[in-house]
Amino acid sequence: MFRELLDLDDATDKYEWIIDYGERGISLDQGHCVDANLVRGCQSPLWLARYENTFVCHADSMIVNGIAKMIVDYYNQADEGSRQYFDLVTLTAIGLAPLLSMGRQNGVANLIRRLKELT
Amino acid sequence: MTPFSNCFPFFARNPKINYLDNAATTQVLYTVPEDRYQFEINHRANAHRSGHRLGTWVDTQYHSAKQCIAEWLSVSEDQIVFNSGTTQGLNDSAEFINNRYQQTVIYVGADSHHSLFLPFYRLSKNSGHTVKTIDITAEGLLDLDWLEQELGSIDKKVQIVIAVSAVSNVLGKINNLERIKSMAYEHSAVTVIDASQLIGKRPADITGFDFVAFSWHKIYGPMGLGCLIVGLDWLKTEPARPGGGSIIHVSYNQVEWQTGAGRFESGTQNLSAIVTIPKLVGWIRQNEKEIEKHDVALARYVASHCPSDMFRPISYSDTGLISLQPSTGAVEDYAYLLDAKNIMVRTGKLCAEPLVSRHGSGLIRLSWACYTDKRDITQALDTLIEIYEKLRRNVSRAA
Repeated sequence: MFRELLDLDDATDKYEWIIDYGERGISLDQGHCVDANLVRGCQSPLWLARYENTFVCHADSMIVNGIAKMIVDYYNQADEGSRQYFDLVTLTAIGLAPLLSMGRQNGVANLIRRLKELT
Repeated sequence: MTPFSNCFPFFARNPKINYLDNAATTQVLYTVPEDRYQFEINHRANAHRSGHRLGTWVDTQYHSAKQCIAEWLSVSEDQIVFNSGTTQGLNDSAEFINNRYQQTVIYVGADSHHSLFLPFYRLSKNSGHTVKTIDITAEGLLDLDWLEQELGSIDKKVQIVIAVSAVSNVLGKINNLERIKSMAYEHSAVTVIDASQLIGKRPADITGFDFVAFSWHKIYGPMGLGCLIVGLDWLKTEPARPGGGSIIHVSYNQVEWQTGAGRFESGTQNLSAIVTIPKLVGWIRQNEKEIEKHDVALARYVASHCPSDMFRPISYSDTGLISLQPSTGAVEDYAYLLDAKNIMVRTGKLCAEPLVSRHGSGLIRLSWACYTDKRDITQALDTLIEIYEKLRRNVSRAA
């Protein structure tokens, strides 16, 4: 799903791709970036909401926004069985893990937890 | 490269890395891993327990380390407690105070690191202590005029504690320890000093305080080792963590604690780190003046070259750090994009959330050390400007 990103060698190019990815498609609008939708425990504020069966997110950090959007898009496209077993290990399988330091992994773990709570 | 760079093997192995996160941890002096390795392969044994020659060797090194620190900081060897770092030292200090006094008013600096603030905050939540905050002046220093007035008006029967940072890890300004000491003396206040951003960076008079904590990994030394300098008046206090090595005699119904710092050093100490201290302290003392001169020159260089319209400095510090508030973009994005260019800085709340939150959601902190040169700073500032422009373009596009 993210082959284009994984094929990039340069770290700056990777981050630029992630920023661009975050700007594609639908983002959570500012009006819904409220405490009730805040994913706790992220270094940079990240909001997540569900519209029918689709999740939408937004982060102030453009890179966090892109990474979160990639995860949320993957989750949106996953079937029920895959959603149930979706965790940090899944991110390794889809190639995102190297982008996540320990600090970022904590934030992502909270995002995954919140996705499952809202499912 | 600076005249000191060759003493730090990290840079020979990682020549592309521009390391500007020295307020968190410095790179290590070459003698430290060498001494650690020699200890592990040739001398490994426990201290203060064994009569064999390996044990005796370790005992000698252990006391030699304390002797070096005592001479350097003008304290008695008995006052020096080895521990895991500043955090343990400050937590233990809070516990000693709580064990001696049931009620106190604790004045904590508003510029405190969480390691200083949280132990006292917890005391105030769980027991009969009250925490008050000493605010910051426009110059980025503790408001000691306010503190003086406050102490003058407080009931004389109330036990006062003053818990402050010698240098804030966000602001980098050197607080006036002499004045704090004099106020504490006048009001019989207990003093707790977080000296982790001061010791080893500037000559420091830490005598006359009740507790002074610092960590060695911030001054070119080993990880997992700190010191708590304990005031003479506290050397007979009950240890916070009793155990092996902290006693002279134990029976089933009586304990005689070690005299001096030994009672606070229960269990096996971080000996492979402790044995590195004599050479490290020797090197710091030999280069102390040059390091300070270098540090101040870089602070001036940063102040005059920082594009303050894009990155507002929270203060122009006296020591080796500057914290910047970008006028566009999230600090986390700067961290990622600087890292992509091999520039390592600290971003976010800097473990001082109450203070940093006054300046938005986070800050970018550049902190330097004796091996940092002007080119490192220029590269970081130029890259910050590039990132700023990139993020600004993206923000405009998104709008």
